[in-house]
Amino acid sequence: MNNILEVKNIHSFINQYHILQDVDFVVPKGSITALLGRNGAGKTTTLKSILGLANVRQGKVIFNDREVQGMPPFEIAALGIGFVPEHRAIFRDLSVEENLKIAERNKGDLERKKTFIFDLFPDLKKFLHLRGTELSGGQQQMLAIARALVADNSLLLIDEPSEGLAPVIIEHMIDVIHQLSEQSTVVLVEQNFLVASKLAEYFVIIEEGKSVATGLMKDLEADQAMIHRYLGAA
Amino acid sequence: MKMNFRKNSKAIILLAVIAAFLFVAARGMSGKDVLITVLRGFSVGSVTFLVAAGFSLIFGLLDVLNLAQGTLYMIGAYVGWTVYVRPDTFIDVLTPVLLILAGFSLSAIWGRLASLIRLAPKARKTVAWILILAGLGLLALILTRYPIAVWDLNNYSESPITYSYMADQGMRIIPAEATFEKISPVLALMGLLVTSGISAVGIALLNREANRTQEINWRKLVLPAGLLLVGILVAIFNASLTRWMFSISSNLLFVISVVVAIISGVGLGALMETTLIRPLYNRPIYQLMLTLGLGTIGLQIVQAVWGRPEFVLPKPEFFTGTGGACPATNLSDLFTNHCSTIMLLGGRVRVYDEIFIPIVGIIVLIMVWFLLKRSRIGMVIRAGVQDRQMVEALGINVRRVFTLVFALGVGLAAFGGALAAPSSGLTPTMGEKLLLSALIALAIGGLTSFPGAALGSLLVGLIQQFMIKYGQIGIPLPFTDAVFKPSPALVPASTVLLMVVVLLILPHGLLGNKE
Repeated sequence: MNNILEVKNIHSFINQYHILQDVDFVVPKGSITALLGRNGAGKTTTLKSILGLANVRQGKVIFNDREVQGMPPFEIAALGIGFVPEHRAIFRDLSVEENLKIAERNKGDLERKKTFIFDLFPDLKKFLHLRGTELSGGQQQMLAIARALVADNSLLLIDEPSEGLAPVIIEHMIDVIHQLSEQSTVVLVEQNFLVASKLAEYFVIIEEGKSVATGLMKDLEADQAMIHRYLGAA
Repeated sequence: MKMNFRKNSKAIILLAVIAAFLFVAARGMSGKDVLITVLRGFSVGSVTFLVAAGFSLIFGLLDVLNLAQGTLYMIGAYVGWTVYVRPDTFIDVLTPVLLILAGFSLSAIWGRLASLIRLAPKARKTVAWILILAGLGLLALILTRYPIAVWDLNNYSESPITYSYMADQGMRIIPAEATFEKISPVLALMGLLVTSGISAVGIALLNREANRTQEINWRKLVLPAGLLLVGILVAIFNASLTRWMFSISSNLLFVISVVVAIISGVGLGALMETTLIRPLYNRPIYQLMLTLGLGTIGLQIVQAVWGRPEFVLPKPEFFTGTGGACPATNLSDLFTNHCSTIMLLGGRVRVYDEIFIPIVGIIVLIMVWFLLKRSRIGMVIRAGVQDRQMVEALGINVRRVFTLVFALGVGLAAFGGALAAPSSGLTPTMGEKLLLSALIALAIGGLTSFPGAALGSLLVGLIQQFMIKYGQIGIPLPFTDAVFKPSPALVPASTVLLMVVVLLILPHGLLGNKE
């Protein structure tokens, strides 16, 4: 099987709201796939549906050949999915080190990954004993990504990695995500089309809760009409 | 940072003002009165803290205001009393409790099997409820015939008061043994296991989805098998166990009583969370009504089982020495003679009430602090207070942590009850009073702040005790000869007043988070 993740015609609810109304796409192993679309289209809900944080009432989510819809989120995550949510969700009562340590699934995970993580994010090493929320916005984003790397995750779901970051830091972020994709498959939500096009090989466009187009990013870049239609001005 | 400092400075000034008030209040008293009042304040504060800490842990992580906390504190006291004064009753009750737990803990195994049975959802539900009700009904039938030696509320010579008195006098006579008359022992034991097992199948059928992914392995059998084995062993060696419990030193017996009280609290907490609280997580009003109702039901059960009159849990030998070198004037006297009182600054201080309880309170404070700050589970709790979804997205079973915290919180309250019982005595109203104090302490300290719970409890204890003391000696009013003696009714009112003042200045309490 070449696809690490298959999302098959899912309908998802958050509380009583029917947010996703038929989202369908596949994610090839080792790729970077970007979910694109306007605000409120259902991109974040799609990520949450994969993890079980949104209630999938119809359709299937298949991760590594295993149907995971309906399973509790902690079991789905434990199969090897790392999540970097919107607004980072750094734990404010935990130090930077604890924010990483809490993501351990087996004892010693952090110890094993330390060199890898601190090579990617040298800043974090300096601030290990600060509280998570004392970091700058960019550093918090690094911490949120680092947290998803502590356990052995074969799939990373990253929501808005460039949100609120300075251009220099965004460049660094793009670099980091490219490095990550050598080991894990990445699915990300990105508002900034320029960033998305630099990052991803594949795209999925979501419009009003439906997946309306999927394909190779380089084809989308060439199709100005489509960009204009679904994403507004690029 | 600046905001942080400003907020803290407010709290510091407020604390300084309260401290100044206490200092001024203490000026008119002799040194020994001040000492004793402060120690009593610490004592009351410690017990309040145990209830408030549980409350705060539960509220912080689960957002549940557990208004049954007062009743659970009281249940802890009564359970502790039962083990201490009537160990035979405890041993008799142990077997059915263990067997029922064994039966219900099988539901993890039934779960997998139940998920394989294909039934229409409606039929599944009906079958499940029929099994649960049939199981519970049969269980009740057996339990009412199961022999348990117990006190008799209608007969004064066999009432809890009399047994308390006898235990206090060191007359530890084993009461008449209850025997299997209405039911044969084998049938009773088998019946307990089977009927609770039937209910467990019903419960497993209800939770089909949750069990879909569960694997069966031999480890799941260890718990039920262990419970079953211990339960049957206790039944076989009932008489010799009872004799042993009556022969051991009262110090050891007291420790056992407190431990059993804590375990009961933890068990009740886990049961409450998994069966009743869990379905109501998104409905706070129902939770309030549920915990309030459970508190009232618990109160009625306590009244029905142990009666309304007040009695005491006698203090163990270690704290009851008199005569000879007592009251002790130094530590070696205290430890060799196990004095009940000690002389400090010329005042007589009761060792259990005014020294031991505060020490235990401080130890628990430190232990829970370490649990929160140094253990993995504490890390998960601190993170979960802020963002449950994210914790779950990291692959952590937050529900299990919820159950654990709820059980821990209730266990702390039960611990408080058992600890306070030798000092304050047991009445069916003890829970309400403490619940109110604990809530006030939390409001003062900050609802979700653990150090806040400690600080608030201490302040509540101190204020109460100073008011009680002033009720006796009076406050000389400045510029006049008149003396103001606060009436007993002003004691609880004074803590409410403190709460109002604190909340007017700091709406989130002294150490609470702004949220």
